[in-house]
Amino acid sequence: MKEKKHLLTACLCLAASIAVCCITGANFLKARELPMPQNGPGVTEVKMLSDWFSGLKGTHADTPVYVLRGAEPGGTMLILGGTHGNEPSGYMSAFTFIENAVVDKGTVYVIPYTNRSGMTHNDPGEGNMQYFTLQTQSGPRTFRFGSRATNPIDQWPDPDVYVHYPSGQKLSGSETRNINRAYPGRPDGNLTEKAAYGVAELIRTENIGLTFDLHEASPEYPVINATVAHQDAMPIASEGCISLLLNGIEMSLEQSPTNFHGLTHRELGDYTDTMAILMETANASQGRLRGATSQRQVMGGQDKCYELSERLGMLYVPWTVNGILGHPIEERCGRHLQGIKEYSTAYSNANPDKPIVYRGVPGYAELFLNADPTYLGGSILGSYLK
Amino acid sequence: MTTELLTFLAMIGVFLLGCFLCKLPVSISMVLSAIAGALVGGKGFPLRHLVEGMFAYVDTILVIVTAMIFMKVIQESGALDAISSVIIERFHKMPALMLCLIMVIIMFPGMITGSSTASVLSAGSIMAPVLMLMGVPMLETASILAMGGILGMIAPPTNIPAMIIGAGIDIPYSGFGLPLTLMTFPLAFLFVLMFGYKYVKNMNYEEVRGKLRTESRKKYGFRIYTPLILAIVLMVINKAVPAIPDIGMPLVFLISAAVGCFTGNRFNVAKMAKDSVNSVLPVMGILMGVGMFIQIMTLTGVRGLIVNSCLSLPNVARYIAMAVSMPLFGAVSSFGSASVLGVPFLLSFLAKKEIIVAGALSLIASLGDMMPPTALAGIFAAQVVGMPKYTPVLKKCLLPCLIVILWGIFFIVFANQLQFLILG
Repeated sequence: MKEKKHLLTACLCLAASIAVCCITGANFLKARELPMPQNGPGVTEVKMLSDWFSGLKGTHADTPVYVLRGAEPGGTMLILGGTHGNEPSGYMSAFTFIENAVVDKGTVYVIPYTNRSGMTHNDPGEGNMQYFTLQTQSGPRTFRFGSRATNPIDQWPDPDVYVHYPSGQKLSGSETRNINRAYPGRPDGNLTEKAAYGVAELIRTENIGLTFDLHEASPEYPVINATVAHQDAMPIASEGCISLLLNGIEMSLEQSPTNFHGLTHRELGDYTDTMAILMETANASQGRLRGATSQRQVMGGQDKCYELSERLGMLYVPWTVNGILGHPIEERCGRHLQGIKEYSTAYSNANPDKPIVYRGVPGYAELFLNADPTYLGGSILGSYLK
Repeated sequence: MTTELLTFLAMIGVFLLGCFLCKLPVSISMVLSAIAGALVGGKGFPLRHLVEGMFAYVDTILVIVTAMIFMKVIQESGALDAISSVIIERFHKMPALMLCLIMVIIMFPGMITGSSTASVLSAGSIMAPVLMLMGVPMLETASILAMGGILGMIAPPTNIPAMIIGAGIDIPYSGFGLPLTLMTFPLAFLFVLMFGYKYVKNMNYEEVRGKLRTESRKKYGFRIYTPLILAIVLMVINKAVPAIPDIGMPLVFLISAAVGCFTGNRFNVAKMAKDSVNSVLPVMGILMGVGMFIQIMTLTGVRGLIVNSCLSLPNVARYIAMAVSMPLFGAVSSFGSASVLGVPFLLSFLAKKEIIVAGALSLIASLGDMMPPTALAGIFAAQVVGMPKYTPVLKKCLLPCLIVILWGIFFIVFANQLQFLILG
């Protein structure tokens, strides 16, 4: 009798486990269907990263590359969004650029999801949201909130220690799946290294003159509201940074450290001829000090815990900008898009034979400074999306 | 912050009710506590979060279960008896040196893999019979294993908590070697002598020799050691030659265990594997529960509340908060403590030399592996020596843990003066 009861309990537990597996399994599988940008007026072609490195074909690391070819020849520029899937202003800036930009001179390549695999899952233990919705020109549109690292379904297990190729630098094993520790990549490496290699190949093949990598950081991280540039890009970055400051955007400029490897601003500058620039904005949903997960936190950039942290002097950014509490997505995307504008203008000034000229993309003023504060937190950004 | 505080209290309350009033297993209590936290925090029934949180510990669970299978194979095949007898025969005349050597052997897997569990379950399980044969009581042996595992995890060349803390502010893992050596080895030698010397110094070798089981050594010769040597080679090889891919600890243990099935005494492999998994099931359950618990803590803002509260204290009190909160938070895992509290504490001490501070914080965070309910180092040390409960081990290790904390704080306070230790 007792044995029968145990068998029944075991069967019930097994049935419950199967039900949980099916429900959550379907949820996790759905996360692989990524929302993509709508083609804007300047998009001339949509290619895949595997067109530059065939080793990515058929993998979850193969990612769309939007090409915006200008009416006149000029320089070439690459914008990397979605290096880290938990830093939404990176890929939302890329979306905004793709859906609005008209290129007059030169060619612009935009990758909205640089680590596409990282967009298909969330970091265990971080309690992140999976999706957020914005009201756009065509109605509500849902976007993914992803992970900092490649999906373990695509690359697993992590080694105990990650040894960067080719420098030999050692980092924690989980960094093996961080594409911004994998550059310059290698064709026979792991999936993340292959994706990094694909980006480097695109840069080499298309002679990309200027590369942007768009990031966010937790407000308690020292390098924030900042631009980090490879030493070769410092003259352009300095000129662009002064323009940003004159436009009322607080921006610090740092030269890429030579002893920290795997990042775009170090390795793409060293292993290709591009001018590599990385920008960081303040993301309230990213740090260890953050409060409860919500759309207000992710899009509105507001968080009670960070208000407390600011009072404790723990933050490296002011928590109120122009009278607005927190760092709404419009401010963060505005910084990125204005940064791209100013740095690319500086590049064109320095290279008059290879200008990059575009229009139609909202900047810091349109998205944030001149916006009605009651609509910040997604609505203003949404109004620029199709 | 009222909602976060209420959520935290609800989580703790449900956990304690489950454990002590309803006598539920710790793992089930943690699941219920996570569900209660989500409900109070206004997040509904968070099925996706519960499953996602569980996945935080998949790798650790695989290491634990495969290490346990490896340990049983070593035991059943006779390799354990063989190596115990060799060590005692060779080194019994120098008891202090022998104890220090045993401690280094216990630490070795942790030094290579960065895991205290690997240390305790592999080298720890091999050295435990040696210590007990020499007269060290069961409790002291378990304490040596637990502290050896923890210090092995922090000792160079591989210290994962330090890597995690360093990555939080983008400092590469270089220059840590000498500071970590000084943070760990003096303490390791102190603890092994503290626990074992008084028993070993008057060891009656003739009596001990009678208890040594040398049959497997005589019968199988050198081949009896093959699984051990293979495990060491597989652990070390890709660290020495990075071009060789890291196959991961679970595979290292499984390959070595498979080889061990053919190098000594014969035994029922299926029964051994089933026994091994059964013995670690409660710990695996706790880890899954902990994963859910921490996911809900983060989701509801409780994690932020805890971290902010720790950092809101004035300077001197901040050292106390660090000394208390990092090991306590380590109850959910020492790696979690390094990430969640280690990084903010490092940021709050940024005026000091960060490599020394990160190393010292990793040392303090490592004590999380002695903190219930997970207490991986304590639980497995007790299990290896055959103790039914691990609480006596934790009590015995209180003083060493306090010494570890004080040693860590010493390095943080004098971080700038000690920066000459940073080489390369």
